[in-house]
Amino acid sequence: MKVLDLSQSYFDLFKQPLSFEIDLAQLHENQQNLQAKFHPDRFVNASDQEKRLSVQQASWVNEAYQTLANPVKRARYMLEVSGQDMKDESETTSDIEFLMEQIALREQMEEVRDKQDPLEECDNIIKHLKLRSKEISDDFSNQFESGDLQAANLVSRKMQFVQRILEQVMDLQFQLEEEFS
Amino acid sequence: MALLQISEPGQSSAPHQHRFSAGIDLGTTNSLVSTVRSGIAETLPDECGNVLLPSIVYMGNEQRLVGHEAQKYQSDDPLNTLSSIKRLMGRGIDDISQLGNVLPYEFVTDENQVVPRIKTATGAISAVEVSAEILKKLAERAQKTLGGKLDGVVITVPAYFDDAQRQATRDAATLAGLNVYRLLNEPTAAAVAYGLDQQHDGVIAVYDLGGGTFDISILRLNKGIFEVLATGGDSALGGDDIDHALGEWILEQAQFEQLDAVLSRRILIAARAAKEALTTQKTTEISVNYADQTWQGSLTIEQFNLITQPIIKKTLTPCRRVLRDANIDIDQIAQIVMVGGSTRVPLVPQMVEGFFQRKPMTDLDPDQVVVIGAAIQADVLSGNKPDSEMLLLDVLPLSLGIETMGGLSEKIISRNTPIPVAKAQEFTTFKNGQTSMSVHVIQGERELVSDCRSLARFELRGFPPMVAGAARIRVTYQVDADGLMTVSAEELTSGVTADIVVKPSYGLTDTEIESMLRASMDFAQEDIELRMLKEQQVEAKRVIEALDSALVSDGHSLLGETEINNILLHRNQLEQQIESTTSDNLKKMIKAVEVASESYVAKRMNSSVVKALAGKQIDEVNF
Repeated sequence: MKVLDLSQSYFDLFKQPLSFEIDLAQLHENQQNLQAKFHPDRFVNASDQEKRLSVQQASWVNEAYQTLANPVKRARYMLEVSGQDMKDESETTSDIEFLMEQIALREQMEEVRDKQDPLEECDNIIKHLKLRSKEISDDFSNQFESGDLQAANLVSRKMQFVQRILEQVMDLQFQLEEEFS
Repeated sequence: MALLQISEPGQSSAPHQHRFSAGIDLGTTNSLVSTVRSGIAETLPDECGNVLLPSIVYMGNEQRLVGHEAQKYQSDDPLNTLSSIKRLMGRGIDDISQLGNVLPYEFVTDENQVVPRIKTATGAISAVEVSAEILKKLAERAQKTLGGKLDGVVITVPAYFDDAQRQATRDAATLAGLNVYRLLNEPTAAAVAYGLDQQHDGVIAVYDLGGGTFDISILRLNKGIFEVLATGGDSALGGDDIDHALGEWILEQAQFEQLDAVLSRRILIAARAAKEALTTQKTTEISVNYADQTWQGSLTIEQFNLITQPIIKKTLTPCRRVLRDANIDIDQIAQIVMVGGSTRVPLVPQMVEGFFQRKPMTDLDPDQVVVIGAAIQADVLSGNKPDSEMLLLDVLPLSLGIETMGGLSEKIISRNTPIPVAKAQEFTTFKNGQTSMSVHVIQGERELVSDCRSLARFELRGFPPMVAGAARIRVTYQVDADGLMTVSAEELTSGVTADIVVKPSYGLTDTEIESMLRASMDFAQEDIELRMLKEQQVEAKRVIEALDSALVSDGHSLLGETEINNILLHRNQLEQQIESTTSDNLKKMIKAVEVASESYVAKRMNSSVVKALAGKQIDEVNF
């Protein structure tokens, strides 16, 4: 069987340039073409070794796709392949303005239930967070393109934070919907 | 006696190697088997024409009965007639007590076995063994129809089945002696059955309400690729719950004084019959008789809807959740596929239509749609369709995590991640000289470990002693295309691979499976002899037939009287004893016929070559 080079970067695997702006439709199509070749279903009657290899390759393709399709993971991965130490979490953001924004958002979330229309309040926060997410992503893209990886690294942590709180608000909204239905 | 089947020179006597495969739907209430023949998937009936095999096993004194034969004992001997066993697959004794009075059985466990056994008059039996009986029966049906051994099968499972439930299903197949190509998620199978028929590209929802499980999946179809975007459901919600709600209503109306297992079972049977009647009627009569207690009453569809409404409403929460997980709006859904016998309850399609604001598709028989999809997938996986572009990309239904300090769960692979998938995690030691550590793997979405399902505890042993914090142990969690997990571990600084001792929380250990396999083989010894006898009888008849037709065509032109008589002597001996002797004897007698006709076979070969060459120019013949 053909074997993938697992040492290449996810960007090379999907034949995409190392850039935050990515063609998601193309990415998806490439992923499906790769799975069509490497998925274990294609090796049901093969030897045990080929079966194991296929599970490994298909898993790797899935992991690569999941990483590049998600903006936060993509950003972190770009830094990792550019040689940034992503395990070092010590240097947290010292951006006071951003810290204040975090606190305000958390408070706003905690007060959702007290609002007259909690679901609408969730909608408002989600809309705001999606907007902020776009701004911060653009910021990341610019910093990365300009070669300031350290700055980009800090911005990627902001992306992580906004993503996490967005998920929490969406969870809360779902929970509220269930309670009201 | 292959030599008597002489094929014309230039014609191949060995046709293209075709593998026999089948799809199996191992359901809570009914099970089915289907296979693709001449490009068409057909669900196989039993001798009486029934395609549904009730998922019921009767543990009789003499023998185990499966299906309709077992069903007969249900109302009189409920404790030895095992039904809805799928609800127990991969479950521990604690889960079972949570199912409440849904199942009437008594369970036994002992210290060495985590898998509970059902107590019956002929001994304790696990859900895996009961399921294996059902699988064997279905495989037999397929092998009889196909006329050969199955090379492999695709068995469907609810998409929402966790690792333990999937493993239990695979173990049952192992016990039944089946080679499993793949465990296929039921909604994905249904999409295959519909998708290939109608060649839709787009996003579809599959709503699957079976006897004991509910699944909802969102899939994207694109050029033969079925990509599951998200899946959700409730592995303990189904038509059984409707029966029970209705049973409770009957109980309330009837005010019986004494309730035992037989009466409970009769109430449930009456409830199920009423439910089925109300799929086509507006009102139905119910009657329950047991000893001197009787009750009769009528039920209208309106009353029935009131009883079932809360149960069906429970299915809508997972629907909302998968839409969100798939990041799909309701108006992007192009089709809704209905699967499972319980979708025949009229309120189900009504409520589904109300939720999705679109009429669900019900073109295919909801009982058969899953097994048909499984057969199509089995046919593709067997290699019989090398040009097929069909590919099913599925996801992990429930997050996998490990237990961390304070009984909290840390997610390693989150739900709806495409499979196969592998994730690695690094640990270090916290004591000097530490050479082992344990990892508790769980599955579920909740934060507290106690709210998730425990899958297994892994003991990693044998890495070299080092100072605290120096070791770097990498644990890799691999989920394969069946949704089953394996774990491996390595100490990175020394490269030592740790020994992993797995203690499954609910599954059978390898030793248990082995001993069950041995037991079932003892049990099946008679069956095997019977099957071999059948095979030899068929072979003997085939030999006689081939010989007779050969003798008619050229016996007298090629053979002398003595030769013919000698052959006939052995032939007639074989024919006389076909129905009365053992398989071994039949085998010997077939051999004797073959030996007696050896020179005849040689003569036929020569004469057929001469015939084939006759009238041809020498340059047309290639030697």
